[in-house]
Amino acid sequence: MKIVLDRPRCEGHGLCEEAAPTLMHLDDDGELIIDQPDVTSDADVALARAAVRVCPVAALWLQG
Amino acid sequence: MTATSTAAPTSNVDLWSDEILSDPYPTYAALREQASVVYVPANDLYAVTRYEPIREALADWETFSSVKVAFNDDMNAALSHTSLASDPPKHTPMRAALMENLSPRSLRPLKDDIDAKADALVASLLDRPDVDLAKEIAKAFPISIVCDLIGVTGHVKENMLRWGEAAFNVLGPMNQRTIENFPIAGELFGWVMGVKASDLTPGSMGRGVFDAADRGMIPHEAAAGIIHQYIAAGLDTTIAEIGNALHLFGTHPDQYAKLRSNPELIPNAFNEVLRYYSAVHVWGRLVTKDVDIDGVTIPAGSQAGFIFAAGNRDPRHYDNPEAFDITRNASDHLSFGYGVHGCAGQGLARLEAHAVLAALVKHVREYSVGEPVMTPSNTTRSIGSLPLTRLVKA
Repeated sequence: MKIVLDRPRCEGHGLCEEAAPTLMHLDDDGELIIDQPDVTSDADVALARAAVRVCPVAALWLQG
Repeated sequence: MTATSTAAPTSNVDLWSDEILSDPYPTYAALREQASVVYVPANDLYAVTRYEPIREALADWETFSSVKVAFNDDMNAALSHTSLASDPPKHTPMRAALMENLSPRSLRPLKDDIDAKADALVASLLDRPDVDLAKEIAKAFPISIVCDLIGVTGHVKENMLRWGEAAFNVLGPMNQRTIENFPIAGELFGWVMGVKASDLTPGSMGRGVFDAADRGMIPHEAAAGIIHQYIAAGLDTTIAEIGNALHLFGTHPDQYAKLRSNPELIPNAFNEVLRYYSAVHVWGRLVTKDVDIDGVTIPAGSQAGFIFAAGNRDPRHYDNPEAFDITRNASDHLSFGYGVHGCAGQGLARLEAHAVLAALVKHVREYSVGEPVMTPSNTTRSIGSLPLTRLVKA
């Protein structure tokens, strides 16, 4: 599965990073960087789902 | 609409009666257990009561339009030029303009100052008799932060509490509270429309916004609109939630001890406070086409009311929802809404609340509170007074 970011909608709240710090992080300018867009293991998919779940503005989703 | 969908069951409550607003949770639980959607004739409203339907409806801005977020027509008309009460694509650039000063990345430089102010405020109360935590922290702290951000002092600052409360009371149906608060909300509007850059403290965010207007970079009304949202949207809600946090930890010593022994729990603890006591009880939408929720039809043209406070305690989504438990994962609570209209000020609210909780656990080993005195509001859960009855310093 692939983590997809709607960048214009992302406001940098950073809750996704708290949920899945191994998959994504906010850089020094507060821009979200998806470090690992492709998730295959059950553990990573669960983390990605948690990140999608907490995004307050629905800017993240999982594809595939 | 599916073949099996039926008319909504009804309830004879008035969701904005004094009795319900002072103690809404028993009524919200009854509505939630009655059905996912309950028609409330007294308020001509389709109440959406369960967690998943509320969350899905918040994500679906095309079916659930924000042109009716308030529960009276006058206020929806007054809000029609704001991001709060408009839909994409009109909403998109207004939201972006508002977020320029409110996104976590723009707020980051304020963190140290907000933390220091919270620390000083809590420290100043430790040896004082007769402390009222609602008045002296929950109300005083957000007012001082927002006034410093905007750059106001004196009589304007003294009016902030009234103005902020009024701005949320006027979102209710046209009841006595709404009618009485319209002139006060009007005072706030009159002040922001008349204020000039030179009225505001040099170096403040508010001064910067009006300087940009004076240079012709943004229209004056846009500058006024941004300042209006800080006061109208950002005060009463944050006050409510800091008051709720102080109340909950003052009545749950086991949870406070957990927080003290593990301050990294503060962000999650604040999520749990937001889940347990939603700052905003009910929020409106206009239903643009017939929509089926769990077999019940909401007809096009009617108003839906999302009862966040009911959804946040839905046992279908949260285990043991009536327990206040700061170790549960409550990060997907409904209290900031969700989707394109997700609370624009949530980053600032978090900064303020986290700062207060961090100062509390640093300076206070144990504390207790007396019965809170509730102030019924048409929108927020408002603690008017919360006496501190016992405090052991750290």
